[in-house]
Amino acid sequence: MRIRIEHIALLALAGWLVGCDRAPDKSKGAATIEVVSKSGVEMVYLPGGEFTMGSDQGSADEAPAHKVTISAFLIDKHEVMQEMFAKAQLPNPSHWQNPKKPVERIRWRDAKVYCNERSMLEGLKPCYNEKTPDLDCDYSANGYRLPTEAEWEYAARAGTTTAYDFGPADKLRQNAWFADNADQETHAAGQKPANRWGLHDMYGNVSEWCEDVYDPAYYKSSPAADPHGPPSPGVDVKRVMRGGNWKASAEMCRVSARQAQRTGNTDACFYTDFCGFRCVRRVSADELAQLPRANN
Amino acid sequence: MVHRNCDLAVGRRWPACAVMLWLLCVPAARVHAGELAPLRDRLKSSAYKIAYECYIDGNWEIFVSNADGSVPVNLTNTPKEHEHYPQVSPDGTKICLSIDQGEGRETVRSLWIMDIDGKNRRKLVDSAREPFWSPDGKLIGFLPQEYPKFNVVDYSTRGMSFFNLETGKVEPHPNSEKLHHLYNPSFARNGKWIAATVHAGMGVSHAILLIEAHGDKIINLKIPGCRPCLSPDGKQIAWGAGDYELAIAPISLDADTPAVGPWRLRIKEKEASKQKIYHIDWSPDSRFVSFSRGPDGEGDLSKAGTFHSACEIVGVYARDWNIYAVSAEGSGTLDLTKTGPADLVQITTNGSSNKEPAWFAPKPAGKE
Repeated sequence: MRIRIEHIALLALAGWLVGCDRAPDKSKGAATIEVVSKSGVEMVYLPGGEFTMGSDQGSADEAPAHKVTISAFLIDKHEVMQEMFAKAQLPNPSHWQNPKKPVERIRWRDAKVYCNERSMLEGLKPCYNEKTPDLDCDYSANGYRLPTEAEWEYAARAGTTTAYDFGPADKLRQNAWFADNADQETHAAGQKPANRWGLHDMYGNVSEWCEDVYDPAYYKSSPAADPHGPPSPGVDVKRVMRGGNWKASAEMCRVSARQAQRTGNTDACFYTDFCGFRCVRRVSADELAQLPRANN
Repeated sequence: MVHRNCDLAVGRRWPACAVMLWLLCVPAARVHAGELAPLRDRLKSSAYKIAYECYIDGNWEIFVSNADGSVPVNLTNTPKEHEHYPQVSPDGTKICLSIDQGEGRETVRSLWIMDIDGKNRRKLVDSAREPFWSPDGKLIGFLPQEYPKFNVVDYSTRGMSFFNLETGKVEPHPNSEKLHHLYNPSFARNGKWIAATVHAGMGVSHAILLIEAHGDKIINLKIPGCRPCLSPDGKQIAWGAGDYELAIAPISLDADTPAVGPWRLRIKEKEASKQKIYHIDWSPDSRFVSFSRGPDGEGDLSKAGTFHSACEIVGVYARDWNIYAVSAEGSGTLDLTKTGPADLVQITTNGSSNKEPAWFAPKPAGKE
C-alpha cells in the first residue's frame, strides 16, 4: 500500500513537472520548463537525453559525430547580461556598455567567478574552488557553472540534428546576430527568436565559454555520458567557446562548430569582445518544483 | 653611452618616404644621448631613491632603495598586513600607500599615509585604491572602489575623490559621478590635469584620458595602452603602449586642449621573450624612468594575501619580477633584449614580485 502511494506521488510530481505551465515543447520527446531563479534570472530546465554530438560534415575537430547522453540541467535562457554582472558586484568589462547587452571581454576565469557569486546570492553550493588556478569544478555541487561543451551543444540542438535548429542557413539572419547583420556590435539579449527549447542567442551575439579544455581530437575518445572535456595540459591551455557571435560567419554559427580560445587569465585588459557566456546548474526534482515558473 | 643598442628611431606615424629620407640623411641622429658615464654611476650620484612594493616572507611590504638599487630597506615589516602601491609626496617626506586586510572577496583595501621612514602611519580612507599626489602635496587623489565587495581588477573603481591633508576631509572630484572604471591616475605638474586609463567605462572601450582636475573636461589622448605617468618637468608623458612596450612622448599640458606629440622613445621587449614591462615612473628631474619587468603570469595562490589575475595588477604575485631603470633622454627604440648593463640598471634582484616603483628626492637632512 505504501509503495502504491509513493508511485502515485511520483506520477503526480512527474505530471506536474511536464504540466500546463511549462513552455511549449516544440521538440519531440523533450519536456522543457521555463523557470525563474532565486536571483531573478530566467532559465530553462532541460530534461536529460541522448543526442548526436559533432558532425561528420563540418571541420575536422567536429568529427566523428557520436552519441552522447546528458543528465538534466538548468540553463540560462539568455547570455549573461551586464545588469546581472552588476547584481553580483563584479566590474563589467564589456566594450559595449548596456545593461541589457551580454557581457563580453570576459575572461574564462572571471566568468567562473560570476558563477560562484550567483551561487552564493541564491544560497547554492558554489561549484568552483577559487583557491585553484583553474577554479576546479565540483560537478556534484548544485551551484552555477559554465556548461560543458556537450551540454551546450545538447541545448543548442534542442532535439534537432541539422546545422541550425531552425532549418536552412538562409534563415540565420532572422535567428541570430552575426557578421552579416550585427552591424559590428553586440545587441540586447533576446531580440532574436529562441530556439526550440526556449534559449535565445545560441547562434550569435557573443560566443560562449564552456568548461572544457579544447582538444581537436577529443571526440575520438570522449566518454559517452556527460563528458567534461580532456584534462588540462597545464600550459598554453585553450578552452572551448561555442556559438557564433557578432563578427562570426554563418559557418562559425553552426551548432557543431567548435572554437578554441585562450582564457585571457594573464591579460589585465582582455580585449576579445566576442567572448561571453551563460550558466548552467544541476537541479533536483524538489528544487525544480520550488522554482517559480516564468511568465510567458 | 646611452642606448647604444637601440634600433633606428622612427616616428610612429611618419610617411614611409620621410622615414627613408631620414634614414639616408641623418644616420647620426640615432638614439644616443651623448657620451655619458654608465647609467649605474649616474644613478648612484643622483641622490634619488626609489620606493617599491615587494612580496617577501609571505607578505607584501614597501621597500626603499637608492636609485642604483643599493641599500634596500623594508619600511613596513608588517607580517599581517599587505602594503602596496607606494606614492611619495612631491616634497619627498611622506608615502601614501594601499593596504589590504582580510582575504578574497572580503578583502578591504584602504589608503594609508606614513613618513618616508615608515613611521607615523595612519589610515586615510577605506575601500579605495591607486592614490596620487597633487603637485602642492596638499591633496591625495584616489579612486573609490566600485562595489563594497572587493575585486582585484585595477579598474574596479567608481568616481574620484581627494583627501585634503589640511582639513582631513574627503572631497569628491567635481565630475566624480561621471568617472567610472578609471585606473592608475597621476597629476600633471601644473595641477590642471589628471592622467588616467579607463577600461569599459564612461562610454569608452579603453583609453588614456586627461581629466580636468577641478572641472569637467575630459580629453581622450588617443594613444594605445594604459598606465600614463606625467613627467615632473610637465612636458612629457610615459605610458605602457602594450604588455611589451613602454613609450615616451611630449605632451602640451599647458594648452587648452593638450595633445600628445610624436613618440620620442620606445622601450621594448620582444613579445617572444614573454617579459612584460609595466609601471613606468619618472625620476624627479625627468631624466630617468624606472619600470617593473618580468615573465607573464597569473599569480600564485599559494602565497598569502595574493590574488589570481594578470601579474602586473596590484596584489597579484609576479614571479621573477624586478625593478629596472633606463635613461629617458634618448630617442628611438630601446630594445631591452639587446641592452647591456651600461644602459639598463637592475634595481632589485630577488625577483620577489617587485613592482610599482616610485622615485623621489629625499629631503636634505635638517630641512623642514
